[in-house]
Amino acid sequence: MSPTEPLGNFKVEDAPHYDDVLQCMRCGFCLPTCPTYALTGRERSSPRGRVALARAVAEKKLEFTPTIKEEAFFCLDCRACTSACPSGVRAGEVMEVCRSQAHAFYPLGKMGKAFREFILRKMVPSPELLETSMLPTRLYQRLGIQWLVRHLKVLKLGPEWMQKAEGMLPRLEKPLRPQLPEVVAARGEKRGRVGFFLGCVMTLMYPNVSRNTVRVLSHQGFDVVTPKDTKCCGAPHLSEGDRETARQLALFNLDLFLAQDVDYIVTDCAGCGAALKEYEELLEERAEHDKLARFRAKIRDISEFLAEVGLRTEGLREVRASVTYHEPCHLCHAQGISAQPRQIIRQIPGVELREMAEASWCCGSAATWGLKYAEDSRKVLDRKLDNARATGVDILVTANPGCHLQLAWGVREAGLSQEVLHLMELLGRALPPD
Amino acid sequence: MISKTAIDHLAEKLGRDNVLHEKEDLLTLGYDSTPGVHHLPEVVVYPTTTEQLIAAMEIAEREGLPLTPRGSGTGLSGGSVPVKGGMVLCLTRMNRILEIDEENLTATAEAGVVTLDLFNAVAAKGLFYPPDPGSQKISTLGGNVAENAGGLRGLKYGVTRDYVMALKGVLADRGLIATGGKSVKDVAGYGFKDLLVGSEGTLGIVTEITVKLIPPPQDKRTILAYFNDTRTAGEAVSRIIAAKIIPSTMEIMDRATINCVEDYVKIGLPRQMAALLLIEVDGHPAPVAEEAEGVRRILEQVKAAEIHVARDAAQAASLAAARRTALSALARVSPTTLLEDATVPRSRLAETFDEIERLTEKYRLKVGTFGHAGDGNLHPTVLCDERDHDEMERAHAFYNELYGQVLAWGGTVSGEHGIGLAKKEYLARQIGPGGVQVMKRIKQTFDPQGILNPGKIFDEGDPCTQAHVEEGFRVSH
Ligand SMILES: Cc1cc2nc3c(=O)[nH]c(=O)nc-3n(C[C@H](O)[C@H](O)[C@H](O)COP(=O)(O)OP(=O)(O)OC[C@H]3O[C@@H](n4cnc5c(N)ncnc54)[C@H](O)[C@@H]3O)c2cc1C
Ligand code: SF4
Ligand code: SF4
Repeated sequence: MSPTEPLGNFKVEDAPHYDDVLQCMRCGFCLPTCPTYALTGRERSSPRGRVALARAVAEKKLEFTPTIKEEAFFCLDCRACTSACPSGVRAGEVMEVCRSQAHAFYPLGKMGKAFREFILRKMVPSPELLETSMLPTRLYQRLGIQWLVRHLKVLKLGPEWMQKAEGMLPRLEKPLRPQLPEVVAARGEKRGRVGFFLGCVMTLMYPNVSRNTVRVLSHQGFDVVTPKDTKCCGAPHLSEGDRETARQLALFNLDLFLAQDVDYIVTDCAGCGAALKEYEELLEERAEHDKLARFRAKIRDISEFLAEVGLRTEGLREVRASVTYHEPCHLCHAQGISAQPRQIIRQIPGVELREMAEASWCCGSAATWGLKYAEDSRKVLDRKLDNARATGVDILVTANPGCHLQLAWGVREAGLSQEVLHLMELLGRALPPD
Repeated sequence: MISKTAIDHLAEKLGRDNVLHEKEDLLTLGYDSTPGVHHLPEVVVYPTTTEQLIAAMEIAEREGLPLTPRGSGTGLSGGSVPVKGGMVLCLTRMNRILEIDEENLTATAEAGVVTLDLFNAVAAKGLFYPPDPGSQKISTLGGNVAENAGGLRGLKYGVTRDYVMALKGVLADRGLIATGGKSVKDVAGYGFKDLLVGSEGTLGIVTEITVKLIPPPQDKRTILAYFNDTRTAGEAVSRIIAAKIIPSTMEIMDRATINCVEDYVKIGLPRQMAALLLIEVDGHPAPVAEEAEGVRRILEQVKAAEIHVARDAAQAASLAAARRTALSALARVSPTTLLEDATVPRSRLAETFDEIERLTEKYRLKVGTFGHAGDGNLHPTVLCDERDHDEMERAHAFYNELYGQVLAWGGTVSGEHGIGLAKKEYLARQIGPGGVQVMKRIKQTFDPQGILNPGKIFDEGDPCTQAHVEEGFRVSH
């Protein structure tokens, strides 16, 4: 049921729930885990402070001021505070909702709006547009940058960010989606049939990662179904505060995947996984409960999935390498998946896992945050790189494209010798040749 | 209202980033972990040196602003809530560990150092700083000193006061005070140091703390015992003490607490049990083995439902960590968690549990109890909703009656959280008007103008210092 009365000074649509902000007992346990609090030492940029601000708006002690908007977007939405909070408060999510409130209170100017609509409502939702408009590859490389640059303008970023964005982009190959057969058959003894949720950033920027994910799944005995029509999971929209477009995308993907005859829906993008698992909440009032529950029950991150069904290690080749693992926020904090990727890494013959300090500390990428707050992002990244460097390993493993971009860029800039790989690329190296 | 010139002046002395006066900042620096108390300061400053602190105090005096010291705001009696507005002096940016003296076994740190950071720094040198409040990962040493904080290891190792060797600070008249030193004995004149410990920021602002360190215990055994009723758990505690065994830790959690904590940590705590005791014995290997055996015998005698020994250090650490989340985890259940700090002589523990149970029923409340059982220090916590006035009244009646009994047994209204705003009435009941008079005279001597943390510990007969201060305000843009 939709509320008709606004909560305090919030707008009616997409307001936080009062109980969610009252839940915070202000113990401060979340403070030492919050990257923005570590950066600023400022209470209002901490989870406890942010929830208190939201509560003040709810209790009409404060209007929804520009500073609240600022805090909503300065929050990395890394969810480290959710993991740290014994009371079950989710400050990151409260801020995500506040981002959408921010758009209601402070509409973008005409130009900004047009761009934003173009990117979030037109380009991102439709994979073909993204892919076909950007071919052929040579052109696509440049368009890819332009895509980002446009995105930056939408977010009111100046030209100084362009350099960073340009530096961050990996060498782009052809997008994966058009190349990937809709069904890839299981190898060896068949164990089941899974749907593969191929995220936009994966197909566009990391086709090689997802190609490996599909190889792994097939090698593990699963038929892999990758529906061509898959749309963006909605994570960028949630993160930019466009909940309505996110809902439309979610509804589409929900029906698309439920229509497939698959036991699980697997993704190799932590950001997509976290968003897919939140459809239940996002679509609460828009889809039948039963449908949402069925969908939710099938979603797995790839490492979660492999750990659950058990990795078949027969036939894996040795990969001689020492690695360390950086935990993507959207995997460890948003989905509580922390042990599984390590378990998979340990099962790869020849691989030595050396833990870095603060493995679950954000890398400072956090969707477009890293571009908006480039200087802060740099500090967060340096902390991460110092910890990674101290391990002295050959390979820095992660499991999310945002982290991948940021880490690869950081490693390059700092002149480190470490290679940055997605867990599936590492596992892919252990697979026998196709 | 603080003047624009004063803000500029502060910024000049302390740097822009160390002076906050936007409403959103003020709003988030007028609370601590105590429910129902909140008040806005006019300005918040973060001195990074003693000189800056003094400069800020000087400007505050010119502007007629009272001063409220603040650490990380995890206090549980409202100590850092600026009930009279004015200036909040936040010490968290004076956070350098200045020295770890391995010859004298001391460490010296600024007041804003986080408790756990000091613990880790000295542990890296093979030394041990025992005071470990549940909030250690964020509480500051200054806050610990000001509240004389206890912790899970209090039973054997004592509380913050037992480790403070020297303090430096600034008095209300901006005079510097340095008291104590690295000598293990010191009886020169009045014990100022002891007066400042536990003074809740009302007598002076602590800037630097020298603490005593000890060698860490070589061995440790962690035992977990489950009980079918809380009374038996209380009895076990009294008997262990009576058997002349002093564990380093003896913590209790009742069923409500166990369930909330388990919801968060998911390590397999026994949801159906009425209570559990987390007991740790440490020291040299031989006596540790002996004491662990002694504890086990007593647990068997009182018929604990189950007795488990932690597999390894990692499991022991996860149990202690779980216990530390008790209070915050209880906050899952309801919007408001009213917690108290009743402490009784340890022989009265079983009766205290009975009394808590009786009163819970009488006032129809939901109560979760946990605490430092070995210290006789319990935190019966009412899980309620501040929007429900009737329930809040019953909660207050509950505490009123409970404290009556606790005092009759020779207990105290606060074992470790201090008086602050929340417990002024109870303190008056405990120490009587004469006691309050003496405290006020001491306060007068240190702070004749009454500018340091006004409204705390005792009432000045001013209605705006009542416990439930909520200042509503509106801001437009
Ligand atoms: C989940 C939780 C568990 C807790 N567990 C325990 C526990 O086991 N044992 C225990 O004893 N307490 C416990 N506490 C209470 C609290 O953490 C302690 O009182 C702690 O010492 C407060 O430190 P702080 O830095 O947060 O101080 P604040 O809350 O900021 O301030 C506390 C008081 O100290 C004064 N103050 C702060 N810094 C200075 C300074 N430099 N000079 C002078 N005055 C100063 C303030 O004015 C205020 O009166 C717990 C709190 C929470 C939320
Ligand atoms: S968000 Fe959770 S951890 Fe942080 S202060 Fe609130 S209750 Fe404590
Ligand atoms: S989501 Fe991350 S940045 Fe945002 S409040 Fe929580 S810990 Fe801080």
